Amino acid sequence: MADIVQVIILGLALGGVYALMASGLTLVFGVMRIVNLAHPIMIIAGAFVSYWLFTLYGLDPIVSMPIAAIVMFCVGIIVYKLIFEREAASAKYSEMTVLLTFAVAMCFDGLLGTAFSNTQRITSPFYATDAIFLGDVFIPTGQLYAGIASLTVIAALVAFLQFTRFGYAIRATTQNRDAAQLMGVNVGLVSIITFGIGVGLAGAAGALVSFVFSFFPAKHWEWIAILMSLVVLGGMGKLAGAIIGALILATLAAFVSTYIGTTWSTMTFFLALFVILLVRPQGLFGDPLEES
Amino acid sequence: MAKLLEVEDVVAGYGRGPDILTGTTLSVEAGHVQCIIGPNGAGKSTLMKAIAGLLPLRSGAIRFNGERIDGMRPDQILRKGICFVPQERALFGKMTVRENLRMGGFILDDPRALGQRIDAVLEAFPILGERATQRAGTLSGGQQQMLAMARTLIVEPEIVMLDEPSLGLAPQIVEQMYDIVHMLREKGMTVLLVEQNAAVGLANADRGSVLDLGKTLFEGPASEILSDPRIQELYLGKPSQVA
Amino acid sequence: MSTQLDVSGVVEARKSREETLATTAGAGRQAWVPATLLAVLVALPAVQVFDGFNYVLHLGLYALMYIAMSSSWNILGGYTGYISLGHNVFFCIGGYFSGMILAYTGISTLITAPFAGLVASLVGFGIGFITLRMRGPTFIISSIALLMVARILFDNWNFVGGANGVTLPQLTIDVQWAKIPYYYAMLFIAAAAVYCSFRIKHSKFGLHLRAISQDEVKAESAGINTRFYKMLAFAISAFFVGMAGAVWGEYITYIRPSIFLIILIAANMVLMSILGGKGTVAGPIVGTVLLIAFNEFFVATLGSSEINIFATGLVMIVALLYFPNGIVGTLAQKKKLPRFLDWD
Repeated sequence: MADIVQVIILGLALGGVYALMASGLTLVFGVMRIVNLAHPIMIIAGAFVSYWLFTLYGLDPIVSMPIAAIVMFCVGIIVYKLIFEREAASAKYSEMTVLLTFAVAMCFDGLLGTAFSNTQRITSPFYATDAIFLGDVFIPTGQLYAGIASLTVIAALVAFLQFTRFGYAIRATTQNRDAAQLMGVNVGLVSIITFGIGVGLAGAAGALVSFVFSFFPAKHWEWIAILMSLVVLGGMGKLAGAIIGALILATLAAFVSTYIGTTWSTMTFFLALFVILLVRPQGLFGDPLEES
Repeated sequence: MAKLLEVEDVVAGYGRGPDILTGTTLSVEAGHVQCIIGPNGAGKSTLMKAIAGLLPLRSGAIRFNGERIDGMRPDQILRKGICFVPQERALFGKMTVRENLRMGGFILDDPRALGQRIDAVLEAFPILGERATQRAGTLSGGQQQMLAMARTLIVEPEIVMLDEPSLGLAPQIVEQMYDIVHMLREKGMTVLLVEQNAAVGLANADRGSVLDLGKTLFEGPASEILSDPRIQELYLGKPSQVA
Repeated sequence: MSTQLDVSGVVEARKSREETLATTAGAGRQAWVPATLLAVLVALPAVQVFDGFNYVLHLGLYALMYIAMSSSWNILGGYTGYISLGHNVFFCIGGYFSGMILAYTGISTLITAPFAGLVASLVGFGIGFITLRMRGPTFIISSIALLMVARILFDNWNFVGGANGVTLPQLTIDVQWAKIPYYYAMLFIAAAAVYCSFRIKHSKFGLHLRAISQDEVKAESAGINTRFYKMLAFAISAFFVGMAGAVWGEYITYIRPSIFLIILIAANMVLMSILGGKGTVAGPIVGTVLLIAFNEFFVATLGSSEINIFATGLVMIVALLYFPNGIVGTLAQKKKLPRFLDWD
């Protein structure tokens, strides 16, 4: 019994981090219908920001999370301005943007690989290897802190979307882009800011990733499918769905990892992705996927 | 009389496609209900999208109160005082009726005034008032159209553009829609509407314009257009008495 | 106030407008261009009589392999409109099938390659049965997931050597001539893939595929069995990729997941097709030659494979933004396509 509780705790703690990793992805899809394959490499870029701040100045990765978020927000704005803004009128928009984000992912992969090489890295703040013991079960402090930080950021995001005028504009654009435009929402501005926020969230997640997982630039290809499985399970574009999807699949993966083998834990996500896409492509909470 | 809205030699089309509007000229006078009629593909909806800023012009000009508005973004045009209700009604299906009205007043900066106006609209339209917390997507077609039109009251624009308000509605509901149109005019708004059912549209309008092949062929009092035999033959589906 | 109304003119004007809206089509094609190109490629190994041209042959073989793969990818991605970013899974399947036979029985992949293609096709047919239910971005994501699944499977499959792979025996012929058999094998595969692509484009099958890519729902309501045609397109497009994988494995003398199952190979296939013009016959060839020339230049001047990934991504962005229809496609649209490139 304690074993099972232990596995669930480990799964949920990781799930919290996955939730933040996926939140930006689902937000950007919701508002702009862009499946951002470059999202995971942006997480790794954010991880590098925190990694270097820790390595060079001893700055704690949780403290440097806002910095990573702001840096990546700016990167997101620039990338959107340079590449995606002009695609808004394209006839094959969704197909084009997937290929473009794929190409952007390659560019950043190559740049980061050239700059920092593809060696495994991890930031190691003092709590990263600690654990809190509660009777028979333990909670790794690194993952616990990361999970808490992640859920805090998500709570802030939800509050922003729910209670601010700009949040209202983002939600309206998500539901009906043309209608939002006719209500006086500057959807161009909403798009660019939302993309920035999405990539900024990737940066924030990166700060946490830097001490929860070891990372290297080329690792993002694996994360593409992992994050997609979370987002697709919850329903693409649904923030709450992505969070629940992350918690479910991370827990499932923790079970697979414990009882079948660590090699197969990532396989959980990929197979889950196939099964969801087949059985219920709109995910748990989503509406049927639109095609264009 | 001063023209409120002037469309001059406008050429426009979608993407890389052909011109749909091929030099359209149109003028709208303040305080009138003006109805645009014409066959399928004449460019009626396209014209409205172009005025609302949803479609860039290839050439020509659109003036509102003497000011060029072509090239502005849709949100800027709305702030100038032109409100557009498209054919698909532009509702937020997953927001409640009240939230939809709130989105209708997105450009208003004073939240208290916005709240008051929303309450006033819900009062004026009891059907909507009863369903204030219901999701817009669950309303019937007529109720949705009513919500879309009532929503324009929140910002009280100078011009309301309605693209086929009667589309898909039963005849008696259509009458209700035109009651709202007259109500908008009584409140001092100018209404520009596109109507597939030309006879109904013209009967409820002060002025009419005939659009075909992307050009305005005729513009004048609605009653004059209704009684013109040539127009009856071509656009109202009545056999010509000459033939 | 009112403009004049010319009733009689209106109906005629409407008719003439509709006529101008209908585009005119029709162009001849020239068979001598591909024929000459093929003759030159057949004769190319003759330079090896003087020795020292091994690198030229290697580059030729490499280009032919990608011509085969991108033309093959184009049948699914270009004609049918299903973008696969995991098509190198079939490259891997072909490589492993023939490679393992070679390792255990000594039968050359040059003989077993067609069977490798068939196996890849069968697997493709089966995978297509599952993944082709999805459309647009969802299909693209599923293809990446497929690649990830395959990588984990092959990395952990001990029978095929896991992540370390298997070393294959080499042909016992003089180095001077060692590349030539593989060169001709790739030439054959590439020619067959391009010819197949051409025949499909001009068949009723190809028409159905294009209908699917334009509007699948309409295609289906027009009575086209879209499901079956899509799966068939998937299987055919896996065939030549599988064959190329078989020959490539023996040519580089080992098979290993990290050779076949890296995203760069899938990206190359996609990019070459898009750069040249997806949905055209000549496009993948033009794209392949350009991208390989570009890569050669880049590696020669800067080295480093990471920079190469960056450069590939950059070319892809530029191509997508400025030539979304590819070089052949864009030129054809502007009616400036030179006749020697008009193979459609």
